[in-house]
Amino acid sequence: MAENRKIKIHVSHLKKNFKKLEVLKDISTDVYEGEVVVVIGPSGSGKSTFLRCLNHLEEVTAGEIVIDGMNLTDKKTDINKVRENIGMVFQHFNLFPHMNVMRNLTLAPVDLKKAGKDEAAARARKMLVKVGMEDKADAYPNQLSGGQKQRVAIARALCMEPDIMLFDEPTSALDPEMVGEVLQVMKQLAADGMTMVIVTHEMGFAREVADRVLFMDGGYIVEEGTPQEVLQHPKEPRTIDFLNKVL
Amino acid sequence: MVRIITQYGQLLLRAMGQTVLLALCGLFFACILGILFGILGVMKNRVCRAIDRVFVDVIRGVPLIVLAYFVYFGVPYAMKNILGIPFTLSALQAGTICLALNCGAYMAEIIRAGIQSVDKGQMEAARSLGMPWWRSMYRVVMPQAIRTMIPSIINQFIITLKDTSILSVIGFPELVNTAKNVVANTFLSFQTWGVVAVMYLIIIELLTVASRMLERRLNVGRE
Repeated sequence: MAENRKIKIHVSHLKKNFKKLEVLKDISTDVYEGEVVVVIGPSGSGKSTFLRCLNHLEEVTAGEIVIDGMNLTDKKTDINKVRENIGMVFQHFNLFPHMNVMRNLTLAPVDLKKAGKDEAAARARKMLVKVGMEDKADAYPNQLSGGQKQRVAIARALCMEPDIMLFDEPTSALDPEMVGEVLQVMKQLAADGMTMVIVTHEMGFAREVADRVLFMDGGYIVEEGTPQEVLQHPKEPRTIDFLNKVL
Repeated sequence: MVRIITQYGQLLLRAMGQTVLLALCGLFFACILGILFGILGVMKNRVCRAIDRVFVDVIRGVPLIVLAYFVYFGVPYAMKNILGIPFTLSALQAGTICLALNCGAYMAEIIRAGIQSVDKGQMEAARSLGMPWWRSMYRVVMPQAIRTMIPSIINQFIITLKDTSILSVIGFPELVNTAKNVVANTFLSFQTWGVVAVMYLIIIELLTVASRMLERRLNVGRE
């Protein structure tokens, strides 16, 4: 990764405790503009917690997170403003079940006065085309399949025009035959130059799309590098052990 | 039976109106208290949650009849004799306060539980889009919580409506109080209490029908 590129996410010495349990012990890394970072690791390694710290869904215990020059750990920072620029996609989609797809997409932009009603609707339609869901604008979430829900969730995040996207195991709750359609949308996003941090178990996807792979275990980043380095030629015994189990 | 209806029908109908008036006043303020304390109960701030807990525990722990005596007789007495301020409450005011507090505490529990029954991911999704806590609560969590709360809230409304009868002890001229006077005059207790029971039944049946209609309307987008 070229060092002259702009740093989008700067994390230094991040710690996160849940009561007495130390989930993140000491995490430091930078994510550059347009970079696709895939985080892998065994369950309980803290990778989802790490991701959730990046948009302050989890309050950090110590350390510093700076997004686009705005310090998340500073109490004076308007966290809602920062979040407008960070889209997040959840394992369980978290679509709003009492609203149709169109309302799901336009709620936040209109409510936060980022766009007028017509402008937001036009953008929503554009995003639905992007994820191949344009004919479902009037459907309610419970009428969609898992893969369709997740594509709508991605479109919803994109409607805020974020320049960073976080994915928290976006395909883990899907039936196998629906994983492909969601990964396809994510691949397209990566090709469009979106800065992405993705927690996933899809090693094939990591190999193909990631610029950098982080392997986390026990609250630390154990190993990081290109997919080639981490997935093909891991150096750390814990990485080798993990990859042997999942591949 | 006929004599009760022809001779005392109008009086009892007026008393039924008073019952409904008292219930509506009580429920109106109970809803405000319930929403206020229910939301306090789900806030992150520990002090807010403690305020909700104390309110609910204290009010739930005191029988309505004791609360009624306390508010109607006790409070004005204390104001006059201890603070030296002349202060009286009408039976309607005192009754409204009692029902509002009593029903409000139960409403707070219903609302808190309703909000907590909504998947945490809903709030997180709304927050991740940049919506502030209050907006997320209002736009995303509350509309979903209300659907699960409606049956319990209607149930609480019905209980409160019937609890207005307890306020006959502070002399408010609602149905039970009036019926007691009718019985005292006529000695026709079977007929009088029979008519009163039917009157309560009618009001509550109307409320139940209205709530079913409301529930059906709120069920959009659900299996």
